[in-house]
Amino acid sequence: MVEGLTVYRGSRLAVQNVSFVLRAGSNMAIIGPNGAGKSTLIQAILGILPRQCGQVWILGEPLRLSGYLPEQVRQQVAYIPQSFQFSGSMPMTVAEFVALGWGMLRPRLPWVGRVARRQAVKEALERVGALHLLAQPLGQLSGGETKRVLLAHCLVWPRRLLILDEAPAGLDARSEGDFYQLLEEVRQTLGWSILQISHDLDMVSRHCDQVICLNRSLIHQGSPQTTLAPEVLVNAYGAEFIRYLHHH
Amino acid sequence: MPEAWLRVWELLQLPFMQRAMVSGILTGVTGGLLGSFAIFRQLSFFSDALGHSALLGIVLGVLLGVDPTWVLLPFGVVFALGVTLILEHTQLSVDAVLNIIYSSSLALAVIALSLIQGYRGNLNQLLFGDILGVSPTALWLSGILLLVSLLYIGLTLPSQMLLTLHKPLAQARGVRVNWQRTMFVVLLALVVALSIRAIGVLLVSAFVVIPAATARVWASSFSAYVLLAMLLGALSAVLGMLGSAVFNLPSGPSIVTTQLLLFVLSLGVKGARQTVTFSQG
Repeated sequence: MVEGLTVYRGSRLAVQNVSFVLRAGSNMAIIGPNGAGKSTLIQAILGILPRQCGQVWILGEPLRLSGYLPEQVRQQVAYIPQSFQFSGSMPMTVAEFVALGWGMLRPRLPWVGRVARRQAVKEALERVGALHLLAQPLGQLSGGETKRVLLAHCLVWPRRLLILDEAPAGLDARSEGDFYQLLEEVRQTLGWSILQISHDLDMVSRHCDQVICLNRSLIHQGSPQTTLAPEVLVNAYGAEFIRYLHHH
Repeated sequence: MPEAWLRVWELLQLPFMQRAMVSGILTGVTGGLLGSFAIFRQLSFFSDALGHSALLGIVLGVLLGVDPTWVLLPFGVVFALGVTLILEHTQLSVDAVLNIIYSSSLALAVIALSLIQGYRGNLNQLLFGDILGVSPTALWLSGILLLVSLLYIGLTLPSQMLLTLHKPLAQARGVRVNWQRTMFVVLLALVVALSIRAIGVLLVSAFVVIPAATARVWASSFSAYVLLAMLLGALSAVLGMLGSAVFNLPSGPSIVTTQLLLFVLSLGVKGARQTVTFSQG
């Protein structure tokens, strides 16, 4: 639950007084034009960016202003960032990366839980159809493979909430479709709640049950039918956008 | 040649030589361990900058009339915390901040040195170190520092790996980024500061950067990479020390030259193997 959230990026007001409730098991989309504060909103909810006003509760636990969330709650939240850029020369296998999503981050000896961790990594990669990538270097994956591996990183430990920041960005149409299908399967099987930023209004209308339209402040929230109505979209994106949609 | 090896064997019986060998191995292992993370956190230049700035710490030690080791350790910590603080509160890049601090520290050190009347210190020793003169106290401190580094990195390995790979992902998983980054930088500063008297202000960064860079040539997994960097750090120290004894060369530069040879050899062998695989494929 988010209540009256206001976030500044430097001296610029990025998100103003936003409130909404994400129901358990729901698939909620955040839509809005570029620069509307969608990524800022998600990063503030995760505690990556500091907030200036408002309250955030994650799985019933308040997120402190410092970004602290109790370890037990924090590990039930998974995040897939918009861009997963890292030094491509960093030597790390897919198995090692997926294993980083396993367990609590409190200090422990590296070999504690090794067998269970290995098994969980294999199961997670199998679930996303990427078991064959187990020993591959992380830096040599294609865009679609990287997204699957990121999802396996989330799946390797029991979660309840998945937050995605334009997860399929950079994928071709087929890989994007595959990714959303995979996400939907995971949600239905495991009952996760999903909060995702998306520019794909067609996907939003097909897969999401709640939509919030943002342009720094909240423009509308409700079902896809009401939030994706032309008058709401005109208000958020401008009339030009609707003409563009009609032409395509 | 057997005569040379006999000399090496005799030298290895001497306590100062044994201390130098153990010191080289300890510094090599610790440098490899921390260096394997440092080179992917854009901290390669950090050890170099601290090495240069440490000259100011040594001069302070001379001014205060105390063993420079006891000045260098707090100096390293203050340097690390100062750099972290400036980075958090400015928009400047890491290398710009490090450059400002190290060049100004170096300038102040040279001015202070010129003002100390009657200073007869060996500048050559400061610049290139004297591993043969390592004291038992410094050796114990190196051992303790290696143990602390192993415990810290070992117990927080997933957090360190996530932080090195992708900061936002680490933050979302609840890694206390500022705390972990500060702890790592302080540890790195202590290792560099402690190694300066043995290896010298100009060469100390090689212990952090070169073994890790060589390990990167071979390793495809992160765990193998870290272990290999530690092993190469120790191996270069042993080979470098033996080489310096055989050819009667300065020890610190011999170790760094060995590190460089292993790096170049790795690049060459790896390159040749790839060429063969490519032509066969």
